[in-house]
Amino acid sequence: MIYRRLQTTSWVVLLLLLSLAVQAQRPSSARRQRRLQAIEADTLTDTRRGPYTVVVTAGGGLSYYSTHLGVPAAIEQTRLSRFGTPSSLRVMWYPDHRLRVGLETGWTTMYSYRGQVAGENTHVYVSAVPILVVFSMPLGWLTGTDRSIARRMAITAGTGLYVNHSRLDYLGTVMTNTNSLGWMAAASYTYPIGRRFRIAGELKWFDAVAVENAAFTAELQLVWRAFSW
Amino acid sequence: MKPVIYSLLGLLLVASLSCRKTYEALVPYDFTNLPGSGQFGTAVRAVTNGVYTVSNGASEFGDQVALKWTYLHNGADTSYYLSVFTGKDAAYFNLEGTSQTDSLVLGGYWRKLVNDQIGLAQLTLRVKHQGKLQLYKGQLAPGDTMVIDGLYGDKNSKLSHPITLTYNRPLNSRPFSIMAHRSGGRTSDLLPASENSVEIIKLASRLGATGIEVDVRYTKDGVPILYHDNTLNLRLIQKNGLMGPVEDYTYQQLSTFVRLINGEKIPTLEEALETVVNNTALNFVWLDTKYIGPMDKVQAIQQKYRQKALQAGRDLRIIIGLPSTEAVDSYKALANKENTPILCELDTALTRSLGARIWAPRWTLGPQTAEVQAMKAAGLTVFVWTLDEPEFIREFIGQNQFDGILSNYSPVVAFYHYTEQP
Repeated sequence: MIYRRLQTTSWVVLLLLLSLAVQAQRPSSARRQRRLQAIEADTLTDTRRGPYTVVVTAGGGLSYYSTHLGVPAAIEQTRLSRFGTPSSLRVMWYPDHRLRVGLETGWTTMYSYRGQVAGENTHVYVSAVPILVVFSMPLGWLTGTDRSIARRMAITAGTGLYVNHSRLDYLGTVMTNTNSLGWMAAASYTYPIGRRFRIAGELKWFDAVAVENAAFTAELQLVWRAFSW
Repeated sequence: MKPVIYSLLGLLLVASLSCRKTYEALVPYDFTNLPGSGQFGTAVRAVTNGVYTVSNGASEFGDQVALKWTYLHNGADTSYYLSVFTGKDAAYFNLEGTSQTDSLVLGGYWRKLVNDQIGLAQLTLRVKHQGKLQLYKGQLAPGDTMVIDGLYGDKNSKLSHPITLTYNRPLNSRPFSIMAHRSGGRTSDLLPASENSVEIIKLASRLGATGIEVDVRYTKDGVPILYHDNTLNLRLIQKNGLMGPVEDYTYQQLSTFVRLINGEKIPTLEEALETVVNNTALNFVWLDTKYIGPMDKVQAIQQKYRQKALQAGRDLRIIIGLPSTEAVDSYKALANKENTPILCELDTALTRSLGARIWAPRWTLGPQTAEVQAMKAAGLTVFVWTLDEPEFIREFIGQNQFDGILSNYSPVVAFYHYTEQP
């Protein structure tokens, strides 16, 4: 039930993004008037599309495991850590309209705990590798200038697979992986530092639904406009 | 500005949709589990068992119900419980005798398995004597009718709705196996104990079961345990960071770190059978083979507990279920198949060739009248699994072909079996 609900949420976010994109493509009446005037003034009607750009984003930062977790009652002297150092890699296609699409992967610690059971040390470590299809759009499009905050801010949402990794150290080591569907949502601010490079700060929510693992991350990212055509 | 507003609205929508609704059905009654029967002695229990007509409360529980006493041994002590099986929404009552001395009063709860409805119940035993209703004191004169009435509540209220049950006829006494899936019932049905736990085994009789099916797997170090799924997951266990195949973990690791949804340990097969033999009145255990590999350890445990049951004077059948060709191969590979009763879920020819005494086809294959009759004519017992649809349960019981039904809803099977009129 929960799983279905979160899947629905992902789709609602996706539809919201799509509707915003469509909205953005539809000029207001004043804007439409100005555009018509510009087209009339232009003796050439340019039907070419573009430019298109492939943008690679890599980043890292800090994560905080932000949902419930359970530490077995049998463990004594428990030390629990909800923090981790995530990293992410995203490849996006920036078309000549507002909605961008791409793939994201990376790695993030979910949580870990240590303790003792009858004098024996124990350690459990849980992490996840997301493999997501992501959609992104800037808050501002065809409005303001390049310096407008709205044009530098973007929201991103995605859905796909999380490969959840678990490691247990107690009377031996057990390492297992479990796949889970899930989603993510993020908001970012990008600052240009060169013709092809930008830096960005991104706040992100990862949610691996079936295993009920969710983390909030804050990342510093390097954005590389790899090539355009 | 508009995009910002849209984004904020979107985030609000996400936040509201992401709120997790938890479903639970917490038992609102604390059982005293007092040893002994108190005022509810053998004679009282005998006259209370039966099919009753429901007057007040029929809209909630149907127009007839079956009442049956069960018991649980705890060492030298025995506790008794009265179950009420209804024909509506897989509802049942679990009741125990209270310590009131001036009248025979039962306290407990009712529950509907098709949803999360649950509530308190308190019933008093009365008798209709010469047209007048009076408290039942342990004596029934000819012409008297047992009437059990009282109140039931729902999640948010104390006892507030009247219920009246009037004795109609005895329970159907035809031999029939009511087998509860996953040792008593599914965790997802919000039962008070987790599936495949020692606690649900103790509850199985009160849910109408006369036998149970348990799911057997091996740990990494070769300990047979009870666990249904092939992975540790949040459907069955409390969150602890451990995931993946249950066979990757040793018994000690599972025992230390893993708790089932209601807090129980994953039991070993030996712990489960020990409970069946020592604590319950169950007469059938179906060891479902969920593992792939050697069967010798399970066979040894089966033989050990068959002996224990014999020594305890119990009429208990412990059968290894063969649901797949891999399980059949494991059985065939056993060095000695003596004293190893099996149940085959595959076709009739294979069942006969293996020498199985029980054939158990899946219910979705239909009544299979010809095959069932042929197998029964050959002296085999025929069960059907895993049947949860009330209409089909009623139909299969009415057809009187199968010797038993395996179900997640044993209270429903119990209702249709006990109310069946031969």
